[in-house]
Amino acid sequence: LGTSGDIRDVLGRKLEEKGFDKAYVVLGQFLVLRKDEELFREWLKETCGANAKQSRDCSGCLREWCDAFL
Amino acid sequence: MAELTDAELRKELLALGYRPGPITATTRKVYIKKLGCLRAEASPSRQRSGFTSGAARESEEEDEEEDEEEVGRAPASRWGTSGESGGQAWGDPRGSPPGRGGGVRAEGGLSRDSLGRLSPSEQWGTTVERGKEAERDAGGRAGGLIRRFPWRAASDGGHGVTPRSALLRSAPRQQPEGKGKGLEYYLSQFLCLASLVLLLIFLGILVVKMVGSGWLDGREDSFNLLPVDCDKRTDDFCQAKHKDVTMAVLHELYSYLSVQAGNFECGNPENLKSKCIWVSEVKDHVLNVTGSSSQKFEAALHWILNSNKDLGIRLKGRDLSEPVSSVEEVFCLESAHPQMGLGCRFRRAVVTAIMNLFLFFWSLITLWGILIYLRYRWRKMEEEEQAMYEMVKKIIAVVQDHYKEWERNLERYPYVGIFHVRDSLIPPQSRKKMKRVWERAVDFLASNESRIQTESHRVAGEDMLVWRWTQPSYLSDSEH
Repeated sequence: LGTSGDIRDVLGRKLEEKGFDKAYVVLGQFLVLRKDEELFREWLKETCGANAKQSRDCSGCLREWCDAFL
Repeated sequence: MAELTDAELRKELLALGYRPGPITATTRKVYIKKLGCLRAEASPSRQRSGFTSGAARESEEEDEEEDEEEVGRAPASRWGTSGESGGQAWGDPRGSPPGRGGGVRAEGGLSRDSLGRLSPSEQWGTTVERGKEAERDAGGRAGGLIRRFPWRAASDGGHGVTPRSALLRSAPRQQPEGKGKGLEYYLSQFLCLASLVLLLIFLGILVVKMVGSGWLDGREDSFNLLPVDCDKRTDDFCQAKHKDVTMAVLHELYSYLSVQAGNFECGNPENLKSKCIWVSEVKDHVLNVTGSSSQKFEAALHWILNSNKDLGIRLKGRDLSEPVSSVEEVFCLESAHPQMGLGCRFRRAVVTAIMNLFLFFWSLITLWGILIYLRYRWRKMEEEEQAMYEMVKKIIAVVQDHYKEWERNLERYPYVGIFHVRDSLIPPQSRKKMKRVWERAVDFLASNESRIQTESHRVAGEDMLVWRWTQPSYLSDSEH
């Protein structure tokens, strides 16, 4: 999870504490939110305190991955 | 929002036209927030009821902006737009945290009256606003963003703000520029003036130095008035006349010596041997020019010797380093203030400056070279130390393995010759190179390693120094 779309180590640890220990789990959350980037960013901010840039990077990365592979 | 069951939350969201995904433990909070936003958008009267969501904040800001723009108070609207852009500047223009926007507004509110604080925030707001506008418009994401963020109230209001704020920007832009311009203008004027003054002072000093000797010319007039023969008499008037004559002689002496010294310093056209001119020559020249007798010349010399002021004329005896005490000892005279032309002075100044610079730089380079050399030495020593420790580790491993093999009856003796270890660890071509490292390692082992004993045994028919592993129990050593 340390390399998933630019989330830094501190935030990665916080996500792990909440149970999102692997990147695919975060992806799962993104998919459960129906790939709504804004909601996902909101969720990210709530869950691990990511700032706007970090959450934007992460959500953008996940969206691109989904667009490419799903 | 009393209803908290998943199904009802879902129904509410659907009623407001948004299709939510599954409402799970992790998504519940986000969807509740979404519901709040949608409700805020749906019922505009509820905007000021203290929602902490981003949409509420942004719509509040826009409403305030519109109010202020209607009133037409330029500073306030500037503040408003700068506040908005400030709020936007705090990261993503869409997802900015709600608390911070309020904080910026409060800060802006406090500074509403003081224009001083406005200008930095304006300038900053200007640049940020412009940057944000460019980003927004050029990316063409405005439409997409509006679609994505349905809780962004009054999208037209958002668009309407930007052209109006852009228009309003042009007015305040002059003011900060004008104020800054004033300061820079005055500063540049002051610097210009100061440099002019310094130039004038420099020129003045130069002129004074060049024609300084001309001041003394006025003295000659004073004794052409009365042709009284004063050689024999010693009354006050004559004494004054004597003094004047002496002064005239001295003056001529001074100028002659300084001219000669200047010539000597600046190219030496007469091929003088030194600045110091022989007494006889000086005497002849001075007596020719002033037309006085040699007694007057000696009186002048006397005067120089007895006066403790600095007259700019140095008397030197035969022995050039000893001070002169009487007139007879004087061998040559020298001027302390050579008279040199402007070009000569300039050249000398430039040469001196360059030489000093060179000296400075050379000394710097020398020091730097020393530093580099020292660093190189230290590095080399460090590397040697490291190599030595590596060698020591290898030796310990070899000796220990040898001992273990001896315990397994694969070796004949429990000790191993030092030279044998060396030859097994260092290939033949590097033996000479590693000689120093090896010897240091051997010394280190002899003094600092307790598990290896250095002894002398007979191995394979010859006496040699050997190493024996002396640690019978297999304690884990420091490596593992």
